[in-house]
Amino acid sequence: MTAALAGSDFLRAPVLATAHAAGFKEWHHFVVHGAGRRLLINFSLTNETSRTGGNRLAPRVIVISHEKQWTGAIERFDDSELDVSADLGVVSIGPNRMVVRPDGYQVVIDLPGQDIRGELNFTSASRPFVVNNQPLGEGRMCWLFVPRLRADGWLHIGGQEHHVDGELAYHDHNWGRFWWGDDFGWTWGTILSQTPRNPWSMVFLRMTDRRRLRCLSQALYVWHHDEPAAIFRHAGVQTRSCGRLGRAADCTLPAPMRLLLDGEMSDVPERVEIDATRAGDSVHAEFRPQSYARLAQPSEVSLDRSTVLCETNGTAQASGSINGERIDFVGTGVFEFLYG
Amino acid sequence: MAEQVSSLLRRSVDHLADEVPDSYRLVLERLGQMVVELDVDGELFSLRGGHRLEVADGAADTARARIATSRAAILDVLDARVALGEAVETGTVAVRGTLDDVQRAHDTLLAYAHAAVRAPSQPALLAALRAGPS
Repeated sequence: MTAALAGSDFLRAPVLATAHAAGFKEWHHFVVHGAGRRLLINFSLTNETSRTGGNRLAPRVIVISHEKQWTGAIERFDDSELDVSADLGVVSIGPNRMVVRPDGYQVVIDLPGQDIRGELNFTSASRPFVVNNQPLGEGRMCWLFVPRLRADGWLHIGGQEHHVDGELAYHDHNWGRFWWGDDFGWTWGTILSQTPRNPWSMVFLRMTDRRRLRCLSQALYVWHHDEPAAIFRHAGVQTRSCGRLGRAADCTLPAPMRLLLDGEMSDVPERVEIDATRAGDSVHAEFRPQSYARLAQPSEVSLDRSTVLCETNGTAQASGSINGERIDFVGTGVFEFLYG
Repeated sequence: MAEQVSSLLRRSVDHLADEVPDSYRLVLERLGQMVVELDVDGELFSLRGGHRLEVADGAADTARARIATSRAAILDVLDARVALGEAVETGTVAVRGTLDDVQRAHDTLLAYAHAAVRAPSQPALLAALRAGPS
């Protein structure tokens, strides 16, 4: 199981962004489902085309944390501060570093201007899975995810030091060529039990058009211990978004983007219900958002629009059965709602 | 000595013209021929539209919208501690002009902000704005 990570989770940018730079994006994303606390870390590379037609990869490090409310930072670095190792397994952005190991990941964070620093080790507890060529407007995206890892280490953020000791975590790695603001939206979620020994892990994805009127694809991925137990796709999945959360974002990052977003609220729902059935297996999962941070970036298809990612924490519960094994747990969810 | 806000704005719009020309043209289009006078902590200057964006020192007799504020208030809005509407309501950003002209100045500000968040040079200019007296 573990060797699969080093074999498949390597940086794509040095090859793919060199071959065809337009619209290329890549990021490594980590979510820690701690007891009463969520941490989200993202190492991101985005191709930018200059006026003279030259291309550069803009590196960013995002670290946000939720205990009572979301707080954190997005820091952009100069492209000269980006380094990818020859074997494509280490990405350094200034003093920040992410290493793909045979059995997991090491993440070092050092954002002195934001008073954020830390070191976390993520050890894989489940087999990774790759989804290729997911359509996103005029573009395509591939993603690899590891539904369950064990996180250990520490993070200093918001003036506090957080120790992470064997907490459950999720990882995904996304790459492809697409444009923020193009005709797509998504809901993306990780659901894990509050009880670390509970064997079930779930990942949910729903791709829509920008206005969320048309579902383009959706899937619920369910892992039992370290192996895939069931993958429910398309018409085998029914999703309902109910109500509106009705509260302002805890924070908007980068802060200057707040000036460009209308109003305080986003369309984060009050509840997401997912029903999945296939070949005698069935799962019902429910996610109830509690609060969210808005991560905003300029649209790449319109000069006066922005794309907003709402990183949302909440409670989750799941029930059903797969291969005769009963599912019944209460847990935590971290969902991302993208509004183009 | 801290760099004057007029100088930072002049450098900012020059970079926008070079780095994000389409966004720069949108700012020009929104501003049109209007002149906006700015008073930041007593430093008077103006932003003028036309064929290109121009930052001129001193008072502007022909200004149709006038904005008086401070570095601290600008940073409060940019750091999202205070929403722009709240800053106007509490008077840390004072705006004068006819409704149409104030609306045009507001549309220009948003176009400028959209351009600035797309241009790689702007974070350093924001850091320079922070370095000034507040």
